[in-house]
Amino acid sequence: MTNQPAQEQPSPDSDQAADTSVALRHRPSVFSKLVDQSLLTVCRFSACVVLLMLGALLFVLVKSSWPAIQQFGGSFIIGTTWRPNPLEQPARDAAGKIIFEDGEMVTKTVPPEFGALPVVYGTLLSSAIALVFAVPLSLGCALFLVRIAPWWIEKPVSFLVEFLAAIPSIAFGLWGLFILAPFLQEYAEPWAKTLLGGLGVFNWMFTDSANRPISLTGRDMLCGGLILGIMIVPIITAISRDVLRAVPRHQIEGSLALGATWWQSCVEMLKYAKAGLFGAVMLGFARAAGETMAVTMVIGNNNQISPSPFAPAQTMASLLANEFAEAADPLHQSALKLVALVLLVMSLFLNIIARYLVVGGASGKSRE
Amino acid sequence: MSDTPPFSTSKLWQAKIVSSVAFSLCVACSAFIIFLLALITGYLGYIGFSSLSLDFFTKDPTGDVFNPGGMRHAILGTLVLLSMASLVAIPTGMAVGVYLSEYAERSWLASVTRFVCDVLAGVPSIVVGVLGYELLVVPMGNFSAFAGSLALAFIMVPIVARTTEEMLRLVPNSYREASIALGATKAVTIFKVVIPAATGPVITGIMLALARVAGETAPLLFTALGARLLSFNNFFSDPQPFPSLTAQIYKYATGPYAAEKQLAWAGILVLIGLIFVINVLIRLVVARSKR
Repeated sequence: MTNQPAQEQPSPDSDQAADTSVALRHRPSVFSKLVDQSLLTVCRFSACVVLLMLGALLFVLVKSSWPAIQQFGGSFIIGTTWRPNPLEQPARDAAGKIIFEDGEMVTKTVPPEFGALPVVYGTLLSSAIALVFAVPLSLGCALFLVRIAPWWIEKPVSFLVEFLAAIPSIAFGLWGLFILAPFLQEYAEPWAKTLLGGLGVFNWMFTDSANRPISLTGRDMLCGGLILGIMIVPIITAISRDVLRAVPRHQIEGSLALGATWWQSCVEMLKYAKAGLFGAVMLGFARAAGETMAVTMVIGNNNQISPSPFAPAQTMASLLANEFAEAADPLHQSALKLVALVLLVMSLFLNIIARYLVVGGASGKSRE
Repeated sequence: MSDTPPFSTSKLWQAKIVSSVAFSLCVACSAFIIFLLALITGYLGYIGFSSLSLDFFTKDPTGDVFNPGGMRHAILGTLVLLSMASLVAIPTGMAVGVYLSEYAERSWLASVTRFVCDVLAGVPSIVVGVLGYELLVVPMGNFSAFAGSLALAFIMVPIVARTTEEMLRLVPNSYREASIALGATKAVTIFKVVIPAATGPVITGIMLALARVAGETAPLLFTALGARLLSFNNFFSDPQPFPSLTAQIYKYATGPYAAEKQLAWAGILVLIGLIFVINVLIRLVVARSKR
């Protein structure tokens, strides 16, 4: 369709037209042309508003995190300490001994430090746990929906999976906080500890950097990852279902005709759709990385890097949820906005790749 | 590979066993997902029902932590926030959808807009909250309903735009051609023919967007913040923190008091119930309009 549709108005002074049809005598008045033009303008303007929204998002975040960018630069991402409050520490001399003056300990104030590595690490690891949990489950379910279920099972199962996507984040958070975390604390984690703790290889899971045992609270990286995993199951399932459905029939029938078993033909299908499936996983990853409320409630909110899945952690989103409203120090505020910017850029990046893979891969073909 | 005969029976059996194991695993995956859903909604429903009462809908918070009253203020607050967000987001989103589907299917502006819509739909909602904070809370000097509804509108626009576009696309081209052949202008065609033909599905898209933002908490944390009172005093001149269901649930759920936690459970149940109803309605509308 072009911007100006061809409006071939029959000329009203043609005799036959004037006689036979009222509609044909109609010629757009100045008024209706004006309406036409202004509708186009309004629509075009709204489309520009959408572009402006993205622009505003990037501009505002860059502008307000500028002080932090100037102060830290690239070392922001690799800084391992996030400590928003100044710290009083006993001053030490060159030999590492605490200095005393007139019998009193000399203290020095360590300024706040803002390094984003703990939260970047927390985001990546919790999303990775979520993907490990969600991807096999979602692919299995997608194959079930496409290859196994008759329509009267497929429809309700699809609905239920999509309904799982519609449950608000805070509901998952509440469930995780009151059901999953206590379950992990009382059953799953002690069980894992008795099973694996005896083997020296898994010691890192149950002790912190100073080799003290980690207290199993249930509100930790594992719980956050699992909740995220449950939350991203629907999106990965729905997209991989659509991607698999777009695989041409002859691809499956061909392999079946060559004597492939059911599973071998499924493997052919998965291979054919691998770009789209990868896109689905990326979208799930992006969703997990940006998810806030549920994670904030169950991850334990501790800005420290620990390799153990049983240690409390923090993600970029949960750090924002916890500290943003209370941050008074301008540098702290600015650093938090820089974290938001890092999160935004990361999710934009993932989304763009995913969109390219999914649309370029298969779902473009499925749209008739 | 060359030394294995093409029809090795043991290989065949192996493949068949692998296949049936994989088959059952796929069924098991689906069953497990449904089981998880039942576990979560079942528990939320069970606890929520036992703490739900009429007071929940009719009473404001009392300030007494042992007898906290209800969440009337938060329900109304959410409704106000949603209406204010809709007022901005629905016309804008629909206009974008009309532009994408009716005016410029293949122009560069359309493809860029479509791309940006998809990307915006994936922006973490907490980042949108930060934007609302910077754009409205900082200049106005306080948290406000405006900042909250702006953040919600920001999330709604791309969803409304994309679903409107998809739904208008479903209207057969012959409708448009017939209308233009009768001498109708483009605007008349859009308003009197295309949009009426797709009203049901377009409303569905709007409901979908509403259901999505009704459950949002993260963008409201830094914009509307949440409050114990619903007050419209000096609504425009003196912005105040504004209550919402989700923010109130978050506050109660993470707080120390048992009676408030009960309210949080009831609130979650109301929210999920609302979203479930919207989802079922959407299914019915789409099923009817596709027929």
